[in-house]
Amino acid sequence: MSYLLRKLGIFVFTLWVAATLNFILPRLVPGDPVSVMLAKYQGRLDPSAVDALKIAYGLNDLGSPISQYFTYLGNLLRGDFGRSISLFPTPVIDVVLRALPYTLGLVGITTIISFVLGSGLGLYSGWRRGRAGADAVVPAALFLSSMPYFWFGLLLLYVLAFQLKWFPLSGALDPFPGDAYSAGWWSSLARHAVLPVLTILVTSVGGWLITMRNNVISVASEDYLAFARAKGLSEGRIVNRYVLRNALLPSFTAFGMSLGFVVGGSILTEIVFSYPGLGYYLYQSVTNLDYPLMQALFFFIALAVLLANLLVDLINVILDPRIREGRA
Amino acid sequence: MTAVIPAATVPRRAWKNTSLGRFFRNPRSVAGAGLLLLFVLLALLAPVLTPYNPNSLQFDAFMGFSAQHPLGTTALGQDIFSQFVYGARLTLLVGSAAGLIATFLSVTFGLAAAYFGGRVDEAINTLINVFLVLPGLPLIIVAAAFIRGGGVWPVILVIGLTGWAFGARVLRSQALALRERDFIAAATVAGEGPIRIIFVEMLPNMAGLIAANFFGAALYAVLSEAGLSFIGVGDVSLVTWGTMLYWAQAKGALLQGAWWWVALPGLSIALLGTSFALLNFAVDEISNPKLGGGRLKMPRRTVSAAGPAPVAGDALLAINDLNVGYVTPTGTVRAVRDVTLEVQPGELLGLAGESGCGKSTLAFAATRLLDPPGAVLGGSVRLAEHDLLALSPEELRQVRWKEFSIVFQASMSVLNPVLKIREQVYDAMQAHGVTDKAKLDARARELFDLVGIQTSYLDAYPHQLSGGMKQRVVIAIALALEPKLIVMDEPTTALDVVVQRQILQEINDVRRRLGISIIFITHDLSLLVEMSDRVAIMYAGEVVEQAPAHQLYAHPAHPYTQQLMNSFPPMTGPRTRRSGIPGKPPPLSAEIVGCPFFERCTKRMPGVCDVKPLQTFPVAEHQTAACFLYDPTVSPALKGNAIRESQINAGQSNAGQISAGQISAGQISAGEVSREPARNAKLN
Ligand SMILES: Nc1ncnc2c1ncn2[C@@H]1O[C@H](COP(=O)(O)OP(=O)(O)O)[C@@H](O)[C@H]1O
Ligand code: SF4
Ligand SMILES: [Mg+2]
Repeated sequence: MSYLLRKLGIFVFTLWVAATLNFILPRLVPGDPVSVMLAKYQGRLDPSAVDALKIAYGLNDLGSPISQYFTYLGNLLRGDFGRSISLFPTPVIDVVLRALPYTLGLVGITTIISFVLGSGLGLYSGWRRGRAGADAVVPAALFLSSMPYFWFGLLLLYVLAFQLKWFPLSGALDPFPGDAYSAGWWSSLARHAVLPVLTILVTSVGGWLITMRNNVISVASEDYLAFARAKGLSEGRIVNRYVLRNALLPSFTAFGMSLGFVVGGSILTEIVFSYPGLGYYLYQSVTNLDYPLMQALFFFIALAVLLANLLVDLINVILDPRIREGRA
Repeated sequence: MTAVIPAATVPRRAWKNTSLGRFFRNPRSVAGAGLLLLFVLLALLAPVLTPYNPNSLQFDAFMGFSAQHPLGTTALGQDIFSQFVYGARLTLLVGSAAGLIATFLSVTFGLAAAYFGGRVDEAINTLINVFLVLPGLPLIIVAAAFIRGGGVWPVILVIGLTGWAFGARVLRSQALALRERDFIAAATVAGEGPIRIIFVEMLPNMAGLIAANFFGAALYAVLSEAGLSFIGVGDVSLVTWGTMLYWAQAKGALLQGAWWWVALPGLSIALLGTSFALLNFAVDEISNPKLGGGRLKMPRRTVSAAGPAPVAGDALLAINDLNVGYVTPTGTVRAVRDVTLEVQPGELLGLAGESGCGKSTLAFAATRLLDPPGAVLGGSVRLAEHDLLALSPEELRQVRWKEFSIVFQASMSVLNPVLKIREQVYDAMQAHGVTDKAKLDARARELFDLVGIQTSYLDAYPHQLSGGMKQRVVIAIALALEPKLIVMDEPTTALDVVVQRQILQEINDVRRRLGISIIFITHDLSLLVEMSDRVAIMYAGEVVEQAPAHQLYAHPAHPYTQQLMNSFPPMTGPRTRRSGIPGKPPPLSAEIVGCPFFERCTKRMPGVCDVKPLQTFPVAEHQTAACFLYDPTVSPALKGNAIRESQINAGQSNAGQISAGQISAGQISAGEVSREPARNAKLN
């Protein structure tokens, strides 16, 4: 129990750090980036919006930075992220909520598939270590995980979508996909998802493979494994109940911790395929100097990763009796 | 302190000699280093390789391949090849500089947390956790978005400052483990300051891990820079492989068919990343013995054509001329040498010797549990009707536990931490055909009663049990199928004396009742003499003496055994501290000519013992010793002096003590409790 409480504490604390970074960064940087942004939109925003922004970024010297900070935190807690500048006057939160399902669907599901697949291959590669096939996957995995996500996406896009025209070039749906959740809509969604899914899968599976392989090799030299073999257990039982169960724990923890990195790569994938998720809008907001949107997106990406980590911690409690006892 | 045989000191090999050698033999590190060298050369030789400035816009746009422009030109009229070779410079700079910053932070935070502990550790650990879960790239994007332009250093700084947490976590746990080690504790006691301890004592021991960490951070930095540049954050007026991709994408290179403008920088990033990843992986493998090894070629076992030699009598276990070695990159450690040993049905054979003399290796090899790099080099092992070393894996699986079981030296860690005890008791029986749930449950309860644990602990997890209880569980599991033989490798050394006593008593009761044979391994000779029917003494991989326990106690034949006996605490009279045997055993990696005990023997006969090939000679009925003192062909004049001395010694050590019969065959009586404190001291 204390384990979960501690994790919950870290969750809240990290979220607070993310929010605070959001607040500090634009104020920390020399050259007043907010004025640059306002200058860019001068004439296109109505004066009341400009005023609102100036207040939000403390350009009007209304109150001390401390009181600004608390106003900011208060707004955050109420879910008030202000209005997007590039999509004025849409509230930032609306943009985020529109993009969120796409990212969760694409990045979330693909990452889970990738983890399962990579861990399976890693289990094979670690357990059968010394055989040509099991050892050859290592350099292959290292190469795949060293590829820039977006670059591999570009190549897929060029060959499979542009040259061969097997898949659509961009977006998540056809312009007129039919009624939502109809068969045509689903098939449109699926066709658009193939290339992004493939990109994330191919470039992230190697990392899980290496992690799992190392864990399996570590477990293989544990005394309880020698004891299991001495007992004359069948290989299937040893692999399932002794190797996998134990190697999965550190793999799973690594999964939580690498999630931030994987999500970063996935964001680039969304950009390449103009897939309308959080990453795509983050890119849009950066190029359009839309700071309110950018900061809200960062906050939500951090929130998603943190929640996923909390979920990992929860599952760890189920998998590892030592944690349940608060011993780990 | 006394009857315990002191540990052999294992010479510490210099890090460089082995690790550097392994670095250059490891195909992955060689490939990684080669690839990296190639890119470094490319970067250094840029002005030689191309005459053009990578930024000059002097050419036509989108030119194809030509002698002048081997890779054509960009949409802006720059030479792509020049951009590529000059791009290597900044890309490498970003990778190494940001990698260094991140590694520096990882080391600083990781070591500080581990060294100072307490509050500092807690604070740093929280910080690490925060940075670990904060999504890095989005953070960098947001941070870098506010720092437009400004050259390459802001990007390097941002990447370095966000990429250290993973390494810090790994280094912290490694340093925490190091802190527990003796030499750090010694340095602390000696009053060395934190800076000195961290930099002089701890850092050098973590060199491999830190190097691996650097390559990991460099990989992360190169990929992050590419991603940032690609979306136009950072300074796109610089020439890196990342900004090349940005411009290629922005100018529609693919749509124009100039696919190589995209393919080349991306592929180079991937290859540079691979070289970092290979180095990271290889250095990790080299510095972490758990991950390395296992890929060595195993020498074929040389089994005599006649198969296992027929054994006289009806021994249950017959080990014949067994040779076992550890095949290491620096040579073969021959840990078991020409061992011939028998165990009769129902017999308790004690096996004693200094730690490091090969007892566990013998036990593991004889039960075919030896893992690489250990390998049986020759000889045979017969158990009942099975030629153990020749069984197929499936045959072996079936024989295991049913015919013989083993209680490991490391009993504290032989239970699977994530499975309930019940499952681990059951599966041993299930693997050998007992599948009925009611029967399994009944047997498990019976076993737990037998070894004295409450049956409720069947549903506990291993970490919920104390050391003594775990030991009992393991012994219960070893008894589950009532095997003919149980090998017990120092089953009680880790326990306190009272628990140890109880467990030994129970083992003895059970084996007498069921007629089970036991090989009992320990470095505690006094314990062994009390418990065993027969004792075998090992030294430097060889069995140097075998005798019935009372005989060995009354008349130890081998000078090594005598010296061990001499260090027995006297049972009466003042308890004096005695030191172990001076000197240390010969390294097992060397070929030993003559007697391995020569260097330390007080009765050695120069010209004989260090020259002649050693054999085992009969001493008395049922007693043999591998010592030239019992070689009838050696002139009595040579050994006269030595023998007289030995008799005096033996006489002294037994003077006025209990008779041999009293201590034979594991009678552990209340009368001997007076010796308890002595054993207590050596068990600490
Ligand atoms: N994996 C290994 N690689 C190289 N040498 C080893 C390995 N394991 C054990 N040894 C060596 O083999 C010898 C015998 O070890 P061991 O059988 O554990 O001794 P004991 O059980 O008597 O203490 C020791 O000198 C040890 O250094
Ligand atoms: S053979 Fe010689 S050196 Fe070896 S134990 Fe016997 S007397 Fe000593
Ligand atoms: Mg041992």
